[in-house]
Amino acid sequence: MAIKNNSGRIWLALPLLVLLIISVVPFLWMAVSSLKSLRQLYSVPPQWLPDPATFSNYSKVLFESNIPRYFLNSTIISVGSTALALCFAIFAAYGFARFNFKGKVWAQSFVLVGQMLPTATIIVPLYFVLSYFKLINTYLGLILVYLVLTLPLSVWMLTGYFKSIPRELEEAAIIDGASRLSILFKINLPLIVPGIVAVVLYSFVATWNEFVFALAFATDRSMKTLPIGLAEFSSEVDTDWGAIMAASFIMTVPIALIFLALQRLFVGGVMSGATKG
Amino acid sequence: MRAWKFGPGHWFILPTMVLLCMLVLYPVASTIFLSFTDASGKWVGGQNYTETLSEPSTKRVILNTLYYVGGSVVLQLGIGVLAGILMNQKFRGRSVVRSLMLIPWIIPGIVAAMTWAWMFHTDYGIINYALTSAGIIPGPIGWLTNPNTVMPALIAVNAWKMFPFVALMVLAGLQSVPDELYEAARIDGANFLHEVWHIMLPQLRPVLVAVTLLLVIWGLDGITIIYSMTGGGPAGRSMIFPIQIYAEAFEFFQFNRAAALSVVYFLMIVLLIAVYIRVFAKAEVE
Repeated sequence: MAIKNNSGRIWLALPLLVLLIISVVPFLWMAVSSLKSLRQLYSVPPQWLPDPATFSNYSKVLFESNIPRYFLNSTIISVGSTALALCFAIFAAYGFARFNFKGKVWAQSFVLVGQMLPTATIIVPLYFVLSYFKLINTYLGLILVYLVLTLPLSVWMLTGYFKSIPRELEEAAIIDGASRLSILFKINLPLIVPGIVAVVLYSFVATWNEFVFALAFATDRSMKTLPIGLAEFSSEVDTDWGAIMAASFIMTVPIALIFLALQRLFVGGVMSGATKG
Repeated sequence: MRAWKFGPGHWFILPTMVLLCMLVLYPVASTIFLSFTDASGKWVGGQNYTETLSEPSTKRVILNTLYYVGGSVVLQLGIGVLAGILMNQKFRGRSVVRSLMLIPWIIPGIVAAMTWAWMFHTDYGIINYALTSAGIIPGPIGWLTNPNTVMPALIAVNAWKMFPFVALMVLAGLQSVPDELYEAARIDGANFLHEVWHIMLPQLRPVLVAVTLLLVIWGLDGITIIYSMTGGGPAGRSMIFPIQIYAEAFEFFQFNRAAALSVVYFLMIVLLIAVYIRVFAKAEVE
């Protein structure tokens, strides 16, 4: 399927170049803008490269705004919800992968529906539940509701990984009299470490970016997460675009690092999920 | 029929099921209940529904949502399939290009929204500058404040954000196409476009059917881009369902009407998905 002649090359190169520009330029523009002073930002025609570059936007974001606090909140909530989902999902996924029992199809469909349910449709009752337990504006409250995002996905993905382990590995251990739990932890878990890493990544990214729940359930300044904090930054009357671009860059860093470190796994996970269908 | 027996499988899934019942099943049931009562908990029948549905804003929200999701999905699929096919060709630096193309998909939604809001800026945005200096538009356009441009602009941002996902899926799908198909086609004298039309797209069909469903669901659930870029404005021209539900509940404190809206929204989604599965997934089985 390779295109060999030269005219073909151009037809490949041109759209590729356009796609590449579309993909990369907005990100570069954000990075460049974060290094400009307000005067450089508000110049017509635009100044392409910051001259001189300034880190004042970053120091403003890091030392004079609430962004570091939001960063901390986002980290605690994402890590908490990811870890909690993983703990529950390991057991459920193992149950789905290894046992046949009554109601299994129903339970699995329920997990899938939970995964697909649009979050906006349940914010009202969740708000009442959280207020009843005094969990509005708490870490625990958001960690729990984020399980709506992370738990079904984790169960679904881990079930696939558990299924890929041959049963024969377990049967020997069963004959030796090992308990189900020790089989799960000593034999199965070490084998699905890649799956666990993938699940952790997905959950972390999903919660790090979540918007609706955070908007509704974390209204206190000390509890807001990064996405909300960033959105509010721009709705202020006098929008400080330099600071917003700097904060955007800071928010992208953890995700970019995770992705760079584990790119193969990340992309591979999506692909295998797609082709298994 | 076997007698009901609580086996080890049940024990393994029990904690998760209990949690999901609390976090999904109860809220759904409660939403339905709330939609038929007033603020004091008194049963009012369909009053919340007639009230919300008779408002002109609701009709516009439904149309906006369909417009936003439909436009986004068409663009995402178009660009994504093109990108996936291009990425499947052999050329130097392919892996680098592939990684760079994933940038829109990786960066957080809110970051994409903020970056594009800055690029769409009426006075100092790079888009207006590029278009006016190229002579394509006579003067700066207020992309996000002009009622006629706000939805196309938001759809463009959403398409930009998600097309790499489609491209990845297409790429994965293409790699499972057997080489023999291309070889046979080439013997028959097929050119590249023939290959795309007669081999790649038919082979990609199952992948695209699944991806489209995902894109629709994500599009319907997407609030970040619109909420942070326009807040549903100007004058409700970009208001979509999730934001309207949020506003009804947490800005106007009309929880019961928000619940009624949620149910309407939910039914709309179920209807969309049911029609989609009937039309496409069924054809897929045949």
